[in-house]
Amino acid sequence: MKMLIDNWGMFLLMREFMEILGGSKGLKLFMQYERYKLAAAVQAALECGVDCRKPPNDVISLLFSVARHKGLLKEGCQVEHVPQPKAPPPQAVEEYFQLVDDVVIDKMCEYVAKHPSDVVPREEAMAYYQALMSAPFYIAFRKAIYDKLAKLYKYPTILDVGAGTQDPLDILDVCETRGVRCELTALEVDQRLCADLERLTAKYGFNVACGWGKLGTYHIAVVQNVLHWATDPLQVLSSARRHAGRLFISQGVVEGAGIGFVLIKALGANKPLSWREVEGLAKRAGWRLARRYARYPDYLALYR
Amino acid sequence: MSLAARFRCPTCGADALVAVTPELLRQATEKGAVRALAKCPRGHATVLTIDQYGQIRSALPVQESARPDCEVTDKAPMSVRARLAVILEKGAVTDADVLLLEKAKAAGWVICI
Repeated sequence: MKMLIDNWGMFLLMREFMEILGGSKGLKLFMQYERYKLAAAVQAALECGVDCRKPPNDVISLLFSVARHKGLLKEGCQVEHVPQPKAPPPQAVEEYFQLVDDVVIDKMCEYVAKHPSDVVPREEAMAYYQALMSAPFYIAFRKAIYDKLAKLYKYPTILDVGAGTQDPLDILDVCETRGVRCELTALEVDQRLCADLERLTAKYGFNVACGWGKLGTYHIAVVQNVLHWATDPLQVLSSARRHAGRLFISQGVVEGAGIGFVLIKALGANKPLSWREVEGLAKRAGWRLARRYARYPDYLALYR
Repeated sequence: MSLAARFRCPTCGADALVAVTPELLRQATEKGAVRALAKCPRGHATVLTIDQYGQIRSALPVQESARPDCEVTDKAPMSVRARLAVILEKGAVTDADVLLLEKAKAAGWVICI
């Protein structure tokens, strides 16, 4: 019951997500695979000689922390045996679980011996990131958030903070489906992502801001899974405060973290946050909570 | 003497000029319009349609398309091999495909001769 009250916004989105996964059976399989892959990753780390009390780096440390939270890693470095689900994963997330294998499980002994950035070099991380961002299940998830909860089509001007290459297209698609023309500005600080975005602008008709310097004011700022990439998440939220009247945050948080968090960490993400930390940072940045839709696994909230 | 026609790069929006030679005008007069390849100052290749008066009727980006001389390498992870193979076979349908192909080339997952 508490889970339902804490996360009613997630249940609103569940219908869309379940459709992609093939109904409740697909959702159940997805969750089984999440658990199975997490246990397999922990097992791989231990087999590569890691002491679960002394993880050698942030990637493995996060893996153990998530596994402990899920009750998979016990005292004395015992791992719960999770059998492989009999059916294959839902088609929509097959590539995602394969990514987990490629980036996390298959490279586990390398993570033990090397720094994570030497295991997945920058060029490869960018390619993996692009594959993940443009995966159909993730696109559908973001669109459902923007349409059903954030209702972005109601705001004449939108600032997409830490936009990446796929997010602006998803927002514009939501607006178009609703028959609305949204004026969107995609903000990025990574020079290479800026260059990618600039090539999309003429075709899709949105603006690109490379850095916070030349921004105007906007009706709403969207911060979708950005804070765990930022070296200073408070600065991101404070800067958004100066440029937007409202803020919609969608942030995967550590309370509901699964193997996907470890995957992102291996690709270079920064520190994962708890929902309380996200809320605390938003308030410190001067935002007032208007409506909280969910606490975990995704923190979803609107601020004024 | 060549005329210069102005166009806006469909990829980055930069203003650019293209030389409209008498030969191009002659071809356009014969056929009604002629196609020419131009690059904007930022290097984006663009296909222009020029009419008999030297006016630019359309400017379209040159998209990364299926290239028979590209292949997915053994370095490519299993997770994206299928997607990359489809992109190489059928061409990049979406902009996400175009970006993935570019990143895959930079990562050494796809090589083109």
